[in-house]
Amino acid sequence: MRVIATYNLKGGVGKTATAVNLAYLAADEGARVLLWDLDPQGAASFYFRVKPKVKGGGKALVRGKRALDDAVKGTDFQNLDLVPSDFSYRNLDLFLERTKKPTRRLGQLLRPLRKEYDYVFLDCPPSISLASESVFEAADVLLVPLIPTTLSLRALDQLDDFLRRDGLRSPPKVLGFFSMVDRRKRLHRDVIDDAAAGRRRVLRTRIPSAVEIERMGTSRKPVPVFAGSSRSTVAYRDLWAEAKTRF
Amino acid sequence: MNHVARFRMLERGDASRVISGLEQRFDLIREPEQRVQRVVYETFDWRFLAAGSVLEHRRSADSGVLLWRSLSTGELLGQIATDTVPRFAWELPHAPTVDRMASITEVRALVPLVSLDSRLDVHRVVDDEGKTVARLTLDRTRISDGEELPAVLELAPVRGYGEEVRSAAELLSAQMTLVPEPDDVVMIALRSVGFAPGSYSSKLRLSLDRGSTARQAWTVVLRALFATMQANESGLRGDVDSEFLHDFRVAVRRTRSVLADAKDVLDPDVRAWARGEFRWVGQITSPPRDADVFLLAFPEFEAALPPERRNDLKPFGSFLLDEQRRAHGQLVAALDSQRYRDLVTQWREHLEAEPNGNDGVDPERTPDAAQPAIAVAGARIRKAHRRVIRRGRAIKPTSHPEELHELRKDAKRLRYLLECFGSLYPSDLVTPVVRELKGLQEVLGDFQDSQVQADAIERFGQQMIERNGASAATLLAMGSIVEHLDTQGLAAQESFRHRFERFDTKAVRRSVKRIHRGRHISTSAEDHA
Repeated sequence: MRVIATYNLKGGVGKTATAVNLAYLAADEGARVLLWDLDPQGAASFYFRVKPKVKGGGKALVRGKRALDDAVKGTDFQNLDLVPSDFSYRNLDLFLERTKKPTRRLGQLLRPLRKEYDYVFLDCPPSISLASESVFEAADVLLVPLIPTTLSLRALDQLDDFLRRDGLRSPPKVLGFFSMVDRRKRLHRDVIDDAAAGRRRVLRTRIPSAVEIERMGTSRKPVPVFAGSSRSTVAYRDLWAEAKTRF
Repeated sequence: MNHVARFRMLERGDASRVISGLEQRFDLIREPEQRVQRVVYETFDWRFLAAGSVLEHRRSADSGVLLWRSLSTGELLGQIATDTVPRFAWELPHAPTVDRMASITEVRALVPLVSLDSRLDVHRVVDDEGKTVARLTLDRTRISDGEELPAVLELAPVRGYGEEVRSAAELLSAQMTLVPEPDDVVMIALRSVGFAPGSYSSKLRLSLDRGSTARQAWTVVLRALFATMQANESGLRGDVDSEFLHDFRVAVRRTRSVLADAKDVLDPDVRAWARGEFRWVGQITSPPRDADVFLLAFPEFEAALPPERRNDLKPFGSFLLDEQRRAHGQLVAALDSQRYRDLVTQWREHLEAEPNGNDGVDPERTPDAAQPAIAVAGARIRKAHRRVIRRGRAIKPTSHPEELHELRKDAKRLRYLLECFGSLYPSDLVTPVVRELKGLQEVLGDFQDSQVQADAIERFGQQMIERNGASAATLLAMGSIVEHLDTQGLAAQESFRHRFERFDTKAVRRSVKRIHRGRHISTSAEDHA
């Protein structure tokens, strides 16, 4: 089982769209996939039409009163399951604080599922908190969507520094990629070109800023399902293929 | 409710009426009808079924997909887009699903069992968010070029939504035109073309009658072993996978062992004849099995070399493949011989003619035949155990390798007796003995294999030089493998004492004693009293 978290300190950069579309593509290839919507806003759950509710809330899960397995919901797509969001996840840090070794807790909760799934995607809320530290400890890979601006690249550096300093037992591999790319914007072009010249850990594939990604909200499906031949689908397929070579 | 609910449609039933009934209470969305050709795949020993699953290749007008699904929940365990199904799971394009599948099949081939033509009418049951909570499938399947199977209506809840569709299942259960159907359509199809799913296992699954005589018990065991040989012969001839020959050989070895321990139980003339003939069968199956073992171990040989030298071993791999083909051809020729045909006919006739009671048993020629099987087999188990203990205790670090080889044969004989006649005794007596014996046999087997393989590689090297010359690099690589095997052999030899001591314990000896004395029998009689 490989754990992949989509993470960025900033919101609105395409984390959820990435998690939803890549999870769908992985499942479509035949792998067994679980997506855990850790964001209390519940966008991933919404896209899959799953009610954002977990019995007992995040507290019961974190405390082990309810097995994660019990909270799993099948999506409309074969091989693709979801642990829905719950509004109580906004207090995840509080729940984690009360456990012994809080940063290891998410990994512990996932452990019983390791034989059941090939990939677990964690869709994280935008923050640096105890919950995100627990995500860093549990994840093998952090997929970091970056809007092509100078600041976002600096944020990637800061994330790297944080992971190095944090003393994790096995820090995740950080794979940045450009998201919401608009080639008409000069700044986007320049930042991407600079990154291509220097940075190995920014993936080659770029996810465009595209109307079909925005339409996920109205169709409530992953992009490849309703816009199979769109350039966004092609980009997500490429991203998944490229990311796999870097795991 | 997390399990699939299946119903068989009675002939007078009307599926559309049942579905409209459901529509009154649930939101159903009809999917386009699928017409698919399905081919069911399994390993010969039903490994997918043993894992509670089925594997089928589905082909529709525009695509092919290999589906691996759970029988109880209907969930997909894996799917792989492919137009053709290779002989082995590991030959599929690399993916996590394939790794999981290959861990089920291991060395066994995927064998097509039955072809089906299906019309699948799927309705999604959705909640107020438009989320699918269950799938209702009307499965109308016909065996390709064969009979139409009864239509099956299947309600499969999506994971986590069992409660939401419980009432739908109850509604279906109340329909007069539906009867509950425990089996998946694939299982119904397999039965209808004559398969008995799960019927073959490489493990000996005997349940001997504790009141039987020795002659009866020996006959039941020999019949079962002969059936195993017969079951594997076709796959062995076709070289479908290496396990057919393996299981065939194990059945032959068990037969030989049971015959060796059949003194005074079976007619001495028949016994002598059969021992000779099965020894011959053992001999003719050895060369292809040796080649199989080498080919199966080849990846391990490669891994023992540094990556830059692995290519040097390739000519040896090709040589082994040629050897395997040649040896297999010779085996098939031997199986076609009059001698083998006579053996099969006469052995079958003999086993069929064996009396079920004690009629025709000659107490002069077979004094133990009419004795209780429990007593006779118990005595032979104890004797075999003593042989192992005596020989094992005599082995010193300086002993000749041949001593370990002889001990291995004795241990095997004891193991076969326990496996073949173990069901006569309480399992709590037999299991611990088998467990420790198994550990001992593993060490002895590793030692023997390393010795035999090292010798064989040297012999193969010589043959390669004689046939078409082998490069120095290849011979050096083969030399490294011999060293690797010697190291393994040494490690096995070193762990022998420890393993033997675990077998040579009071607890094991006590179990064997109780098997021999039959104390458990009187105990159970007292219990009844």
